[in-house]
Amino acid sequence: MSEIVLTKLNKHYGGMHHAVRNIDLTIGDKEFITLVGPSGCGKSTTLRMIAGLEEITSGEIRIGGTLVNHLPPRDRDVAMVFQNYALYQHMSVFDNLAFGLRNKKVPEAEIKKAIRNAADILGLGELMQRKPRQLSGGQQQRVALGRCIVRNPKVFLFDEPLSNLDAKLRIQMRVEIKRLRARVPTTSVFVTHDQVEAMTLGDRVVVMKDGYIQQCGTPLQVYGEPANKFVAGFIGSPSMNFFEVGIHAQDGELIAQTPFLRARVSERYKAALAAWNGRTVILGVRPEHLRVNASDVDPIGKVEIEVIEQLGSEILLETRAGDLSMTVARVNPQLPVAAGDVIQLSVPSDQLHFFDPETESAIR
Amino acid sequence: MSWRNALRNSFGEQQRFMLLLIAPAVTLLVLFQAVPIFIGGSASFRDWMLTNPKKTWVGLAQYISVLTDPAFLEIVLPNTFLFMFASVTISLAFGMALALALNRPFRAQKVVQTILLLPLMVAPVIAAIMMRWMFNDQFGIVNVVLETLGGEPRAWLVDRWSAFAIIVLTDCWLWIPWFALLLLAGLQSLPKSPFEAAAIDGTTPWRVFRHLTVPMLRPVIIVCIVIRSIDAFRTFDIVWALTGGGPARQTELFSIYAYETAFVFLDFGKGSAAAITGGLIILVVGLLLYRILDHVRKVSL
Repeated sequence: MSEIVLTKLNKHYGGMHHAVRNIDLTIGDKEFITLVGPSGCGKSTTLRMIAGLEEITSGEIRIGGTLVNHLPPRDRDVAMVFQNYALYQHMSVFDNLAFGLRNKKVPEAEIKKAIRNAADILGLGELMQRKPRQLSGGQQQRVALGRCIVRNPKVFLFDEPLSNLDAKLRIQMRVEIKRLRARVPTTSVFVTHDQVEAMTLGDRVVVMKDGYIQQCGTPLQVYGEPANKFVAGFIGSPSMNFFEVGIHAQDGELIAQTPFLRARVSERYKAALAAWNGRTVILGVRPEHLRVNASDVDPIGKVEIEVIEQLGSEILLETRAGDLSMTVARVNPQLPVAAGDVIQLSVPSDQLHFFDPETESAIR
Repeated sequence: MSWRNALRNSFGEQQRFMLLLIAPAVTLLVLFQAVPIFIGGSASFRDWMLTNPKKTWVGLAQYISVLTDPAFLEIVLPNTFLFMFASVTISLAFGMALALALNRPFRAQKVVQTILLLPLMVAPVIAAIMMRWMFNDQFGIVNVVLETLGGEPRAWLVDRWSAFAIIVLTDCWLWIPWFALLLLAGLQSLPKSPFEAAAIDGTTPWRVFRHLTVPMLRPVIIVCIVIRSIDAFRTFDIVWALTGGGPARQTELFSIYAYETAFVFLDFGKGSAAAITGGLIILVVGLLLYRILDHVRKVSL
């Protein structure tokens, strides 16, 4: 069992900077957790505290039931992949992979076996005698992964391992990490600022901002039921559209209205929003949920197209209605539209999100 | 005005400006380096003594006289190389230890760093005189301490090897901070993540030092060793101030030998030949050292 439990974890740098605040998180055995958030949100610091590279100001970290607060990194039985690979540049790939095992005085025969196994998984066979600088970025990161695998640790830690790779390679490595996960299931914490990586890799996604956990849930939960406006805006690409709407009751229905848009509140949110009757809330709509000139769903208003981005598989539209601007995604690429056209937007009413304008937390 | 026109025709405006900029440095170099070297080189082929200033051309006779001089072969050269090796090795080892100690943050780090650098600001002659008094057989603090600890006082500078050891000690005292400073700068420029990876991989401090720090620091170490070796080869001041080459020429280094021959025994011809011989030796040694160390570095990369 190698469950990781973080309890009331805090990290201060000096008196002023409070990097991680009261983090409570339980990462199950063999679970893959992704920590995601903008830079400076405390995700890397949290990871480095689990690794033991960063002192803990207060709180507890337990790995497999053992309190590791004061254990040095080498006694925590974790392995880490770094953003810049952190390979030993003057050693061959083989020696890089063997280094951690030689530290533990593992017999050479066993080292060879472990390395052959890792090389098979990662396809490093031919590269064994090369030096890291003779490898491409993707190959170097595979060696770094191999260095973790051979040690067979309790926990894998990933610190933005794909950020230094180009876009195409990043997607390839993402798949490779998933594949690796299936073959070597191990408790993993993966830090990234890329929400796509976080969503695709994580069993659960932890969204962080300003040192706090904003939401922790499965990818579907953070996408479909964001806990607050920040999570709603951070997860999903392009970002969710937000605007202030007034709520009023009409014919037994709740209506969210601006001078330009008008939407009916679905049964799902009715109870929660009843308390907001006559007040203003923030309405959020994902660009991909908006439909153009659809007849089968509730229309919410008319907008004018400002910019068209043709992606081949879809069209992205930047539209405007009065002082509201709205992004529309997943538009049929064959749709004949031009800048300046006025289109009718509609959205299924249960795909609207409402947020408290003060606290920004979701109303539901 | 023709040379001006010639200059104008053969060089572009930017080149003429560059020539103007380097002209003062070139002039100084020619007057105070090239000309004296040439005069010295010429003197080394002549029989030129203050008592016999006819400057007769004698070919390689002076060089033969230097290279067959038992004092030069059996004392001066071994002494010089031994001094070079001992001083550089010891300073490197202690400088590295200091740099490693200073590389981890602690309270009052800046103060300690500054204090450690003080020897760099002491003139070698002053350091040597200081050491001479510390090791003085009658009034020196070392003997006083030794006596209170129940030891026998010694005449330190009278015995060849203790005198030699004191010379090496003085040189190390002066140069350890220099090594520490350069190695510390090198250490601080190393990337952090391989060390973090090693910490997570469960590497002992010794293995980190042996397999990460030293290989990654190798370029800095090589430059330090080459510069210091060449510099140690021509050490003059501290030996002159501590022992003057004594007792009985037993601690004489090459530069003392050349100086004494030329300016104490007033044999300019032989002195010049000795100086040029030494210059050639250190040229070869320096190049070899650089080649060997650079080869080690390339192989390890």
